[in-house]
Parts: sequence; C-alpha cells; structure tokens
Amino acid sequence: MSCVFYPGCSLDSTARDYYLSTQAVAGALGLELPEIPDWTCCGSTPAHQSSELLALALPAQNLLAARGKTVAVCCAACYSRLKAANHTLAHDPKARAAVAEALGADYDGSTPVKHLLEIIVRDIGLKKVAERVVRPLKGLRVAAYYGCLLVRPPEVTQFDDPENPTLMDDVLAAAGAETLDWPHKTECCGASYSITDVSIVHQLTRDVLAMARDAGANCIATACPLCQLNLDLRQREIAEKFGESFDLPVFYFTQLLGLAFGLKPAQLGLRSLVVNPEPLLAAAGMLGEQVAGQRQGCTGCGH
Amino acid sequence: MSTEAQAVCSVAQSDDFVREVATASGANLAICLQCRKCSCGCPVAARSDLKPHEIVRLVQLGERDGVLASRMIWECTSCETCATRCPQNVDIPAMMDALRQASRAAKKTAATTTVPVFNDIFLRTVRRLGRMYEAGLMASYKLRTFRFFEDMDKVPLMLRKRKIALLPHKVRGGAERKRLFDRAKDMEGKSR
Repeated sequence: MSCVFYPGCSLDSTARDYYLSTQAVAGALGLELPEIPDWTCCGSTPAHQSSELLALALPAQNLLAARGKTVAVCCAACYSRLKAANHTLAHDPKARAAVAEALGADYDGSTPVKHLLEIIVRDIGLKKVAERVVRPLKGLRVAAYYGCLLVRPPEVTQFDDPENPTLMDDVLAAAGAETLDWPHKTECCGASYSITDVSIVHQLTRDVLAMARDAGANCIATACPLCQLNLDLRQREIAEKFGESFDLPVFYFTQLLGLAFGLKPAQLGLRSLVVNPEPLLAAAGMLGEQVAGQRQGCTGCGH
Repeated sequence: MSTEAQAVCSVAQSDDFVREVATASGANLAICLQCRKCSCGCPVAARSDLKPHEIVRLVQLGERDGVLASRMIWECTSCETCATRCPQNVDIPAMMDALRQASRAAKKTAATTTVPVFNDIFLRTVRRLGRMYEAGLMASYKLRTFRFFEDMDKVPLMLRKRKIALLPHKVRGGAERKRLFDRAKDMEGKSR
C-alpha cells in the first residue's frame, strides 16, 4: 500500500528510536514511509487548550499536504489531533469554513489517517508479520500499554475497543511474545505534565508500572512517545519516591518487532532506552550471535 | 427557600455562563445526569480541588468565578476517559478547553499552574519554527517559571541517549505560518 508518513515532533527528538525502529520495521515488511514534505507540528495539547481554530488548522495543513494519500502516524498524540481535525471538519461546516479562511485553503477532512499498528494488523496482516519473524520473542512477558489517545474518544479514533484494545497484543503475539491481560492498558500516564506538574506523572505512571509488574510483566511495550518517556525516563525517580522497584524495560512495539525480525539493536535505537533492556534480552536469547546464526538466509538484507 | 428551590433559581440566573460555555465548546451540559461516572474514571479527580461532574454542575449553576479559578481545569490531562464513558455523551474535555480559555480571558487562572506559560511558549515555538524545539522550549519555560534546577540532572542523560537536539529544525513556510497564527488570533478575537 502507498502511504505518506507524518512523524511528528517527538519522533524528531525525544523518540528518535521510535522513528528509527518504525522505518526499519516498515522496510522489513515492504512498507515505504516517505515523509510529508515540510510537515509541521500538529499543535498537540497546547493548541486544543488554547485555540480551537489552531487545533484544527495545524493538522489540516499537514493533511492537505498529503494530497489524498493515507497518512501513517506513530505518535498517539499526533494521531489523536489529526483524527480529531478530520472528524470535526467532516461534520461541522462552520468549523470547516473558519479553517478555510484562516488557512487560505479548504480542507474537507477526508484524508485517511492510520496508526502504524492499524496498518500492520489490518493492511499488511499478522500472517505476513509471523512469516517475517526469525527470532521469536520467547521469554518476553509483555504488558502492552496503549495509553489514552489511540483509543479515545472511540467515535473519533475508531482504533480498537476503548477499554480493552488488542491490536498491539496481536502484533507482539504474532512475533512470539507472551502478552498479558492486565487492567491498565488505557490508563493515563500524565503525558506533558512531565514538564508542568511532575507530581501528576509520578502518581499516574507509578500506578501503570506497578500494575504491569504485579501482572507479571518483564517489560512494557508502548506506541506513544509521551508514554514511553514517562515510563522509562522517570522510572528510577518514581521507584525512589515510592520506595518500590520495577526494573521494567519500556520498548516501543516497533523495537520488539524489529528484534523478532532479526534487525540489529543499532537499527532499532535500543541504546536510547534508559532502563537497560540488555539483561532481559540476553536472558531471552535475543542478543548474541548464536541466535542470529540460527537464521536462515542472509542476515543483512532480510531475505 | 429550600436548597432545591435555591438551586432552581440559580440555574435560571446562570443561563449566561452555561450558554457561553456550551456555545464555545459544543458540549451539551444541560443533559448531565450527575451520575459521576466521569469522576470515577478520572485520573486526577482524587487529587484536584473539583471533580469533573462537579465542574459540570457548577457551570450549570453559573458559578463562574469558582470554576474559572479552579485547579481542576489545569490538572485535567485531556485523557478523554470521561467523554468515552459518559452515558449522556457530554463532551467534558471540550468543556475543559473552553473553560481554560475563559479562565485566561477573565484573568482568573489558578496561581498554582504553569500550564498556560508552557502552552504559550509551545505555540510561539511552532509559530516561529514550524516544529517543536525541546531544548529551546525548556530553556524559555524555566526562565519564565523560575524552575531552573528541576530535572536538570536529566539533561546529560537525555543528550547521551540522543533524546534532545541542541539546534532547532526550521521548516519552510515561515511567512504563511505567521499569517495563519495572526489570522487565527484575529478571528478568535483574543490575545495570545
């Protein structure tokens, strides 16, 4: 299928590893992700809290630049803003007229927007994912953490079940991981309060980490740069503040998928993770040559 | 007058505020049943000064000042759980956005929050560069909020982990972008 890619600001900075692993995994699955030329910020939370018009016009500008092609998104926050703009502009003629006046170009809300998980499960298919696996994620007990904005509000995102989504679980299970049934899949991590009031993030992220640990997870998979940053970068200070221990590596689902595809850690940006994943991956036999050596065919190009 | 009668009277007097918020947000606030499902699922209800269902009720009652000065409208994480679970489909997150803007316009914003400062710097950065520039954003935010030392231990770690770039990435189309922001400001008739 033919897509254009909207990386969003986080994938350009704090989530560079999400960008790298996304491109590597997409390449392995035969999905090309050329970036929308000169894409700009979606406005994120500050726009919708400050100005409805900017919250619509900033995504609309990028969706117009996609020229009708399906826009692939990885960041849950960008995904939410692009989908919300599409929903409003398709249903509210007054909002559409206002955005057209502000932007100097009319946009009808019709550019399809899909998260990479939707593309992998619904367009590429789990069968193709399973076929591409050379190093099953055996020994990984993964808590798939979706956070807020992929699933809510469901009439806008139409992503999956808003209370118990399974798209990420399905992808990781196809790659050989054991995924857990746990209750905090869609609880909030506190998102950008990491900057403005970290006490909110400490409490909410602690609850997510503790629930994953208590459910028996040995790692967490995420599909959102803000979730990943809060769970990973702040894990140590949260453990200290609450007198607990977690030791849960927090991956992007694309990094786990890439490992299962036999891609190299450097291609997946694994060194950007703060909680060191090496002990877990080594124990699971995911690192080291003897495992890679078992692969059939060429390790370099994926054939 | 009974409490109930007082409430009915104050609802009658409060038409302006509830209508203002409903118009600005598109949320149908009149149909809230006060079932509290929003507050049960709200991740910050336990720590904040008001719960989501209380905000809705106070808006109905026309308690303008109390609502606009509340911490809740700045502690809400926009997680959309309330709207997803509301049996009446009251768009509480949209109401929160409208209240944030009204709170700033009325200069009632709770002194405890730095969210408006963060939002302003964020949007100014997008206006100027087209994309977020974390290092610049954090520097400006720290200067404006005097939080110089908070998280400074994270900076070397984030640089080592390649999580922040030192230089901004400037996107073409700066003149159009400024025009968009200016036009949006004019059309919405407020200062930003």
